[in-house]
Amino acid sequence: MSIEIDSVSKNFGPFPALRDVSLTVPSGELVALLGPSGSGKTTLLRIIAGLEKPDSGNVIFNGEQTTTRHVRERQVGFVFQHYALFRHMTIFDNIAFGLQVKPRKGRPSKAAIHARVHELLQLVQLNNFAGRYPAQLSGGQRQRVALARALAVEPQVLLLDEPFGALDAQVRIELRRWLRQLHDEIHVTSVLVTHDQEEALEVADQVIVMNEGRIEQGGTPEEVYDRPANPFVYNFLGNVNLFRGRIEKGKARIGTISLDLPEYRGASDSPAVAYVRPHDIEIGLSRQHPEEIEALIRRIQEAGAVAHLELERRDTGEPIDAELTRERCRQLQLREGNQVFVKPRNMRVFIDTDYEI
Amino acid sequence: MKPLPITKKTADNIKQRELTEPAPIRWLLIATVLVFLGFFLFLPLAAVFTQALEKGTTVYLAAILQPDALAAIRLTLLTATVSVPLNLVFGVSAAWAIAKFEFPGKSLLLTLIDLPFSVSPVISGLIYVLLFGLQGWFGPWLAAHNHKIIFAVPGIVLATVFVTFPFVARELIPLMQSQGKEEEEAALVLGASGLTTFFRVTLPNIKWGLLYGVILCNARAMGEFGAVSVVSGHIRGATNTIPLQVEILYNEYNYAAAFAVASLLALLALVTLAVKSFVEWRLQEQSGDQV
Repeated sequence: MSIEIDSVSKNFGPFPALRDVSLTVPSGELVALLGPSGSGKTTLLRIIAGLEKPDSGNVIFNGEQTTTRHVRERQVGFVFQHYALFRHMTIFDNIAFGLQVKPRKGRPSKAAIHARVHELLQLVQLNNFAGRYPAQLSGGQRQRVALARALAVEPQVLLLDEPFGALDAQVRIELRRWLRQLHDEIHVTSVLVTHDQEEALEVADQVIVMNEGRIEQGGTPEEVYDRPANPFVYNFLGNVNLFRGRIEKGKARIGTISLDLPEYRGASDSPAVAYVRPHDIEIGLSRQHPEEIEALIRRIQEAGAVAHLELERRDTGEPIDAELTRERCRQLQLREGNQVFVKPRNMRVFIDTDYEI
Repeated sequence: MKPLPITKKTADNIKQRELTEPAPIRWLLIATVLVFLGFFLFLPLAAVFTQALEKGTTVYLAAILQPDALAAIRLTLLTATVSVPLNLVFGVSAAWAIAKFEFPGKSLLLTLIDLPFSVSPVISGLIYVLLFGLQGWFGPWLAAHNHKIIFAVPGIVLATVFVTFPFVARELIPLMQSQGKEEEEAALVLGASGLTTFFRVTLPNIKWGLLYGVILCNARAMGEFGAVSVVSGHIRGATNTIPLQVEILYNEYNYAAAFAVASLLALLALVTLAVKSFVEWRLQEQSGDQV
């Protein structure tokens, strides 16, 4: 089932949570709403579910007006960040709840409910937990039960509100992969809210980056990561190095580096900022090119599989963050205090509009 | 030079010494509390039972089974039977509305719920006299239709409902607020109706808090003196509750009978305390479960 959000706005008192947001979720896709706190992503999710009403705009399911339909009639499944399992019911009763409260006519028989619950327990790999209570389960197990409960009523749309936010890092990664596999099997239209860009990029078919109630950019994970539309998106999706310069009529001059940028052909002389990812900083021990920037290694931090380097530019004293594989770092025999020559690859240039990070 | 390792025993002793008051001070504090409780609680209770049984069990039973005393007991039970369920329904509804919804006037409602606590019981009774008494706002209308509220059973029930108003609500509101509304939202999304959600999700979660509130409500309903005294009219055998009957007997110098009837209330107090402790223990267990 496809979802269409048409010019939805929502205010909480004086606070504008959503400003004229429009978006389409094609049927069967997993879309991630990614953004910092206060960006409006959870509000949008709850409006889709029917737990909040928009001040203006429309919510359309499969071409049908759904804006005023009551939450219990929308056939959506909702997974909460803190599970919201019914604490005084067993796992079995939790999962069976949606089926047990169906009106007499549509309600499956006890045997059918029993079979379906066990089918779902099998799916989430919690077969022997039917008789336990939520308090006896770990966070990851509870979230799997919550997912099973949401899927029990065969929803047309699955909505997940930061489902892995309350879990440890390892469990988060495992469950995220498992969710993606599940989606590949079941193909139910899903919307996932998260502030974790890694999660969004790994799991989603489409990533919608939100900020302050607006959509900054929507696209495939590759699109938003490699071709961010503006500084906010660039910065939110990973670490960033800034290089300042100027741009005029399609030609950018960033320090000693010149770039041809046809998209800025019509620009009059303006200050510009080039964004470069830490792993796009090439490091060499001797100068290979006049455009390279001389820098001093202030600190090397080997965290896990990656070596993080804090560099300081010789000319301006500004910091540069670089990332290398540990192997490469050892190959070059880099030490703190070394002088190196730095060349940024893959620069993304934006006109500087005083954007504050 | 490496510091000497500390054994577990030493560490425990240090912890003990540094984190608690020194023993003499602890014992002094406990002794103070016990003396206080003894003087203001145990002694009076002991006095009630001793005085009640002073003249023997026959006199005790005769005092309780005397017609006026029986009437007082019946009236007290009737009052409790009406006011406790009423306040139960009201308390649950108010707590439900306050904890799960946002609406204008919410803080006003909270203040109103606390009103009976801040008003003197005598004034609480006086309110009803001013409303329904012969010179009151509705007085003439009631007299014309031959309805008696003041100096009759309805007035007593009304006054009791007013003073026991807050107990259930005040117990449930923080409980339901701390439980949040996510479980209810989950139930709604799964297709449950409002009523189903209430009975299958909300109610089981608040049952111990509810019981606690009901116990307190009942204890106050049966023991209320001030407000009921104002509206009652003290008509023997008709508009006296147990507390009022005790007062009458005492004023007639019928001490044995007075204490005998009073011992019923003392018994109620002890039973209430016992049930309350049990429920508190269950409440603690329940919140301990919820990690």
